[in-house]
Amino acid sequence: MSNKPASAARVGIGGPVGSGKTALVEQVIPRFARRGTRLAVITNDLVTKEDAERLKRSGLIDPERVVAVEAGACPHTVIREDPTLNLDAAEMLELKFAPLDLVLLESGGDNLASTFSLELVDYWMFVIDVAGGGDIPRKRGPGVLQSDLLIINKSDLAPHVGVDLELMIAEAEAVRGGKPVIVTNCRTGEGVDAIIDHIARDVLFDS
Amino acid sequence: MGDSSFPSGGFAFSWGLETLKADGIVCDRSGVEAFARSQLRWRWATADRLFLRRAADARGVGELAKLDREVEVMTLAGELRDGSRRAGRSLLRAHGSMGTPGVAAYRTAIAGGDAMGHLPVAQGVVWHGMGMAMDEIEAVSAYAMAAGIAQAAVRLALLGPLEAQSMLSILREDMADLLVQVPPKRPYAFTPAAEIAVMRHERGHERLFAN
Repeated sequence: MSNKPASAARVGIGGPVGSGKTALVEQVIPRFARRGTRLAVITNDLVTKEDAERLKRSGLIDPERVVAVEAGACPHTVIREDPTLNLDAAEMLELKFAPLDLVLLESGGDNLASTFSLELVDYWMFVIDVAGGGDIPRKRGPGVLQSDLLIINKSDLAPHVGVDLELMIAEAEAVRGGKPVIVTNCRTGEGVDAIIDHIARDVLFDS
Repeated sequence: MGDSSFPSGGFAFSWGLETLKADGIVCDRSGVEAFARSQLRWRWATADRLFLRRAADARGVGELAKLDREVEVMTLAGELRDGSRRAGRSLLRAHGSMGTPGVAAYRTAIAGGDAMGHLPVAQGVVWHGMGMAMDEIEAVSAYAMAAGIAQAAVRLALLGPLEAQSMLSILREDMADLLVQVPPKRPYAFTPAAEIAVMRHERGHERLFAN
């Protein structure tokens, strides 16, 4: 009795406000396009349609393939307690653009306790950033611990915000018990190929 | 079934309240109460209630599709139409997963573009499928509307959480009055302030809610 449609895989992207979720989506779209992955994107903008509009205008993807789902001021409700509106949006995208391989769901900016329901996604990433504080992995929030893939973004800022990046990575790996951690700079695209490899192997099964 | 934690997407809709607040038209408890009363009296009792009853009594998906078309043509604001379809489809999705009788065929028709899944029609289908009597279906539907408004008002900081509960207690009397009245023969709705607000929301910047 699964809620999941048979075709497209669904991958969630969560993380705090400003950690680089939309920048990551902008980096992965052209990479998926190059490898022939048929893609659609759902954004759960919290207060505006800004992220959805930014992606629609980006020229990276057919604007019709980007849908905003409002979260009623509850960013974690729409991805965890009650993901039905996101499921509905994913199904509508699948009907309209069949066949799709992958639907990316970008959560609204939330906090370290944010997690995705597995009734909504098959796999989810949590994006934190160096400038948010080197101590974030140590705080062992559910997003850091439970996500399938932890991304530490804005690696280039480490020296400017007094963060020991190597220590931050080591602590993230230690608290995650062997689950992967990837370091990125989503402004330049550094590290993003490794994310695509993980999704291709673990979600799309076509690496 | 009307529990706000049942996963059917209701938390994302304000049915006009978000814009009424932003425009300074509803700014306190008395305003929210007046909004909720008008929604119950001039939308739920005169339109939703009729579609709910007809859907619960419907024989076959063809009749449901016809009800959907009626809801569609009599709902003026785009985000009200869209919100009603999205909320209805979400409710149907949850009940489809639970195996509620009558839901699978209706969902198939919606996926094929033959029906739309408007909220009152979907409510009639799923709650009838759950074996509920008509008076129970009506009471749960009215309460779900009031509770949804109360919840949205709390998140918009128009009400405190206790104030919301106290408002719901008072609205129960209104609902009880409506439920004993004979429903009109033909559906109609008249909530101009809310409808204008929803139309303004379509172009506005505030987007916590879907309408």
